[in-house]
Amino acid sequence: MNVASLKLLTRRPPVIVAGLVVVTVLAFLGVNRLVNRFREQEKALARHLYEHGMQAQSAGQPERAVESFRAALGYAHDNFDYQLSLARALRDTGRTAESETYLIGLWERSPQEGAVNLALGRLFAREQLFDKAIQYYHNAIYGLWPGDPETKRRDTEFELIGFLLQHKAYPQAQAELITMAAALPDDPGLRLRVAQLFAQSQDYEHALAQFQQVLRSDHESKAALYGAGQAAFQLGRYRTAQGYLRNAVRGDPQNAQAAQSLKIASLVLQADPFAPRISDAERNKRVRAAFQAAGDRLDNCAKSKQIDLTPRSPSGGLPALKAQWLEMAPKLARLRPPRDGADLDETMDLVFEIEQQTQAACGTPDDLDQALLLLLLTQDRSGVER
Amino acid sequence: MTGPGVPASDSFPTSLPADGSALKRGGRSWFTLSTSREERFFLLLAVFIGLFSGLAVVCFRLAIDWTRISMLGPAPEPHSWRLIATPTIVGLIVAVLVVHVFPLVRGSGVNQTKAALYIYNGYIPFRTAIGKFITAAMAIGSGQSLGPEDPSLQIGASLASALGRRLELSRERLRLLAPVGAAAGLAAAFNAPISAVLFVIEEVIGRWSAGILGSVVLSAVSSVVVVRWFLGSEPLFRIPAVGLVRPTELLAYAVLGVVGGLAAVIFAKAIGYFRPRLRAWPRWTQYLQPAAAGLIIGIIGFLGAPQIMGAGYEYMDQAMHDQFTWKMLAILALLKIVATTLSFVSGAPGGMFAPTLFVGAMLGGAVGGVERALYPGLTGSTATYALVGMGVLFAAFLRVPMTSVFMVLEVSGNYSIIVPVILANTLAYLISRGLEPVPIFDLLTRQDGLDLPSLEEQREQTVLRVEDAMKPAPTPVLEAQYSVDQALRRVQDLTGTFLVRMSPSGWGSVTPDTLKRLVGEGKGELSLGSALPIRNLPYLHPDLTLEAALRHVYHVPLVPVVHRADFRRLEGVISREDVLEKYKEQEDD
Repeated sequence: MNVASLKLLTRRPPVIVAGLVVVTVLAFLGVNRLVNRFREQEKALARHLYEHGMQAQSAGQPERAVESFRAALGYAHDNFDYQLSLARALRDTGRTAESETYLIGLWERSPQEGAVNLALGRLFAREQLFDKAIQYYHNAIYGLWPGDPETKRRDTEFELIGFLLQHKAYPQAQAELITMAAALPDDPGLRLRVAQLFAQSQDYEHALAQFQQVLRSDHESKAALYGAGQAAFQLGRYRTAQGYLRNAVRGDPQNAQAAQSLKIASLVLQADPFAPRISDAERNKRVRAAFQAAGDRLDNCAKSKQIDLTPRSPSGGLPALKAQWLEMAPKLARLRPPRDGADLDETMDLVFEIEQQTQAACGTPDDLDQALLLLLLTQDRSGVER
Repeated sequence: MTGPGVPASDSFPTSLPADGSALKRGGRSWFTLSTSREERFFLLLAVFIGLFSGLAVVCFRLAIDWTRISMLGPAPEPHSWRLIATPTIVGLIVAVLVVHVFPLVRGSGVNQTKAALYIYNGYIPFRTAIGKFITAAMAIGSGQSLGPEDPSLQIGASLASALGRRLELSRERLRLLAPVGAAAGLAAAFNAPISAVLFVIEEVIGRWSAGILGSVVLSAVSSVVVVRWFLGSEPLFRIPAVGLVRPTELLAYAVLGVVGGLAAVIFAKAIGYFRPRLRAWPRWTQYLQPAAAGLIIGIIGFLGAPQIMGAGYEYMDQAMHDQFTWKMLAILALLKIVATTLSFVSGAPGGMFAPTLFVGAMLGGAVGGVERALYPGLTGSTATYALVGMGVLFAAFLRVPMTSVFMVLEVSGNYSIIVPVILANTLAYLISRGLEPVPIFDLLTRQDGLDLPSLEEQREQTVLRVEDAMKPAPTPVLEAQYSVDQALRRVQDLTGTFLVRMSPSGWGSVTPDTLKRLVGEGKGELSLGSALPIRNLPYLHPDLTLEAALRHVYHVPLVPVVHRADFRRLEGVISREDVLEKYKEQEDD
């Protein structure tokens, strides 16, 4: 084949196309190598900037962290972690709109990603967008988590419950807690936390049950004893509360709140004139004590508020109550057992009335007065726990 | 036409290579394929041009990034001396390269490509591609306020031209290759094929041509595929979907259109004013001009606005995400206009697309910020205003209204913004056209002593149509079933040519002399249809252009103009004299 025929051959379209294909493939390989090397360099640079950002964030410098994360993203546009970190840092600096844009972008890419949903949940929680926050928290709970998903889901659930409690959404918090408690592993620490959250959500029945479950595996748990005591106290089960609180105070004498609750619970039990299996003398003694406490409370309250309790006074409720009290006092002094049940009710009604009105007028009562008020509450239930 | 003291152009080759090696000057090349096969091969070639351009643009972008990271650092911050030193020193080096090694790489590259198409038969030296690649990467990477898109366009066109010459294509084909490569380069740079195709049609080719559209589209698509393969397919900007709560909110975008239109005029006038004056300065100053521009831009960056250095895409993204206050956005828009004007008029190689988008984004964000401060009920985010602002500047400064709309859609991947974009772009375009009649690219070519066609000017031209020049038909109009005697009786006292309505369709013409001759030959009893030679006249419709009429009036003295729905219904007649008279009338106007 001579040069002329070779030249002619190279001018045939199929040969030209084949030549172009070869050149293209070679160019692709060359550029691919170049791009890969450059990308590696960029990745290293981005990693360095990202670490810088993480350090800044740990040091409580979210503005610097934003700058670093942003610079890192300049070299690794699609990096999920960098974008998520930037979104979080932006949220921490208060740039919620920008943070939301990034997070929504990530969410559109991976709607199942637990971390993204959690970040969105936190963002909307910060913006007080209640429903949206709950929606994304739920997405996060049921989303995908790389590495130890159970723990991360549970932490998210705790966070959601905390958010609900913060917004006083107690029924929703209780619902979350019931679901969570049903699937809790055998971990007293976790159960104790759930029990405390039940208590915070004012579901004392479940709280008491959870505390009792903790105590089954750890009888000495001070927190569980205290929690169980408080839950029982709130349920009006003062006898049970007394038992738990006594143990709690014994285990932790510094626990002033437990001591105070124990004192009140004991006072309720001691002051209850409706208690069965007590002698008439004892019952009369309790009525008199309650009556005297109510009278003292009335006088102190009137004194502190400078209210004239004389019968001529025009000052409405408290003077009228004083008049009633004065009228009933001689009768009570002459009281002999066995007394009539109707008298007991009449006396205690006046006591409760005085306690309620003085609380409204003068605020926090003394321990015994508080016990009497709690006693009143128990009359709406089935009485004090026997 | 040209500015004061404009030297002979050094942005364009003054002549083709003397040995003729660059072009096959004849109408045909060695390429002896049938027309259809040649067309198919040309389409295939467009794909390869797209692939090569895409690869070149990928490398070009890497080169810019590498230069930037190496010279300005991975995350440039104010008060770093690098910001001043780098653009100044690199400006000097670039100036030496431009003056001594690559004189054709000055400026953006759009006009050079256009000139190659219209003046140099598609010839762009391959050296231009290399020079543009090196010098633009250095200039942009070192912080000159220029963008990579226009150079990419020129690199693509240059590669296409080189390939065409290598294959010894015909002059006609070679001429078409430049816009094919240009579209590929621009599409790759923008990662936006539709905008690239539209821009090349609006600005480079200047007309819609079915012959080239397929090749342009193919090359643009293949280059974008390459870029996405290597660099990813994410849109340039991420913005949330836009929902217009009330149609009255469009007024807010209309205000942006007005402000953007005015800003574009200021931008264009600044470049138009300073460019010829700087180029008229002594030749030795050309070594210093890019360095001086770099120094000023570096000082601006040093003092607190490094965002204006380079193309600035990352800062546009930040602006869209509420990173800056509206005051800062307004300052950045103003500084970017100053910096880009300096960089561009200094002769540093680089494009104006990215700076235009930057100014638009900042201005849009600023206007949106002010509007939302005044009317807190407005629902548009900073991102939406910034994005609309980009389109506004693109439409008003580069004067490519259609491209501007599609560009916004493509760079954001968001269709929901289209209504505000169309409204604001149209307003900005109209304001810019009203205040600055000559588009920026035309202004630059005229400053370089060239006169290249533009689609905008073509749109402005009044198109003369047949209905403008036609006259009422001479009466009577003869029917084909008339006998020759009958026809002669009707016209014997008249002169000129008379039309004959043939049956069942078509038109003929006859003169009284012809009729007399036929009677003399004893054919008086015959019908006109049978006596006249079987040759129908061509006919025209009133809405056809006069250019279309010209094809016929030279051969036929009187051409019938007929209704489009009823070819037997005569609307008028047109003759060569009528056409020429109309053209003369227009010329006199």
